[in-house]
Amino acid sequence: MSAPFDHGPFDTGRFDTGPFDTGLAAAQEALVRAMTAGGPVPGGFDAEAVRAAVHGILLKRAGEVALAWPALAASYGTSWRTEFAGWAAGRPTLGSFRDGWDFARAHRDDLAGEAGRELAVAEARWRHAGAAPPRPRRAAVRRVPGGVAIQVGGRIRVFGRRPPH
Amino acid sequence: MALPEPGVGIGWRPEIAGFVGALPGLRFTEVIAESVHPGHPAPGLLELRDRGVAVVPHGVRLSLGGAEPVAAERVAHLAACAGALDAPLVSEHVAFVRAGGIEAGHLLPVPRTRAALDALTANIRRTQAELPVPLAVEPIAALFDWPDAEYTEGDFLTELLERTGALLLLDVANVYANARNRGEDPAALLDRLPLERVAYCHVAGGAEEGGRYHDTHAAPVPSEVLDLIGELCGRHRPPGFLLERDGRYPPAGELQAELDAIAAASGLPPVT
Repeated sequence: MSAPFDHGPFDTGRFDTGPFDTGLAAAQEALVRAMTAGGPVPGGFDAEAVRAAVHGILLKRAGEVALAWPALAASYGTSWRTEFAGWAAGRPTLGSFRDGWDFARAHRDDLAGEAGRELAVAEARWRHAGAAPPRPRRAAVRRVPGGVAIQVGGRIRVFGRRPPH
Repeated sequence: MALPEPGVGIGWRPEIAGFVGALPGLRFTEVIAESVHPGHPAPGLLELRDRGVAVVPHGVRLSLGGAEPVAAERVAHLAACAGALDAPLVSEHVAFVRAGGIEAGHLLPVPRTRAALDALTANIRRTQAELPVPLAVEPIAALFDWPDAEYTEGDFLTELLERTGALLLLDVANVYANARNRGEDPAALLDRLPLERVAYCHVAGGAEEGGRYHDTHAAPVPSEVLDLIGELCGRHRPPGFLLERDGRYPPAGELQAELDAIAAASGLPPVT
C-alpha cells in the first residue's frame, strides 16, 4: 500500500493576497456542501443534473479507493461501487487513502481474509489522526485474520497460518 | 509555441507505464502532478524525460477557479514537478475543487460571471509568477451550469486567455460531452475559441448513464470525438493530441488502435 501522499485538504500556507470575493466564495461553498455533505442544492441550478454529477463523483471516488485498497474493494466484488457510493454520500472526501480507511473501519466486522489483513497492515503502519493526515507509527502489532502483523521502522511482516500471498 | 511538435501522446499512469514507455514514436506524455514526488519521480517517467519525451505535469487539485487564493504549496509543487521533469509547460483546469475547506473530490465548473473571471485571473497570475514554464488551462466537462451566466463559454475563455496570457489545453471530449448534454453543436464552440492559443488537446472516452454523457476516461473514445478532432483540425490543427485513460485499462492492442485513430483523425504521425 502506498503512503497517503495526496492528502488534499490540509493546506496551510497561503499567498498574502488580501481580501477575496466572499460572495463568490460563499456560493462555491454552498454548491460543494450540496454535492458532498447533504446540503440543499442552491437556487437556480438544475437539481437533477447536480445529483447526476454527484453520483458520477461517488463512482469515481469508489474507483480511486479501489486502487488504494484493492483487497477491500475486491472483497465486495461487483457491488463495491454501489456499497462505497452509498456510504460516501454526504461524506466529503479526505483523499482516497483516508476514504478507504474510514470505510474499512466502519465495516470492520464484515471484513475477512485479505480485506481484513489489508486494514490490519495499514493500521500497523499508520495512526488514524481524526481530521489531520495519518501519522506513521514507529512500531505496532496488529491481529490479522489467522495471524499477526508486526511493523518496526516502516517494515511489515505478517506471521500466521496464512501466508502473506 | 511552447511545445514544439508534440504529436500524438498518451497520459502516463502507473498501470500502463510499460505500454507508454514502449511506444516507439512517443514525443510527449502527461502525468498527474499530484501523483509526482519531485524529489524522486517514477523511474519510468525519468526514462522518458531522458529520451527527450516532453513530460507535462497536469495538475488537478490547484483550484484555479476558487474564490479563495490558490495555496502557495500547491503552486510550489507544480513548479517543482516542472523542474524535476524538464517540462516545457504545465497544465491545470478552469475549475474549482474545494470551498470553505471542503473537498469536492472532482473538478467543478465556475460561474461564467465577471466575479469568477476576476478570481480565475488572479489565481492564474499568482501561479504563473511562480512557474518556470508556461501554463495551459483546460476547460472542463460538467453535467450542469451555474445560473445567471454573464458570458458565453467562448467569450469567457477568450477573455481569460487574453487577460492572463495563458495557453489553452482544449479537451475535445469535454467539448463533445458538454455540447451533447446541453443539446448543442460541439463544432459551434470551436468557432468561438482562439484556436491559435491551443498548446495541445486532450482526447478521452466516456459513457452514457441516465441519459447523460459522463466523461469517465474509462471507456473507448467514441467516433463522434474522433470526428470532432477532424472538425478542429480543419479549422486550425493544434500541435498535439493526448489520450487520457484513467481506468478499466484495455489490452495494449486497443490502446494502440485508439492512438492510431487519433493520429489518423488529426493527420499527425502515428506513434505506435
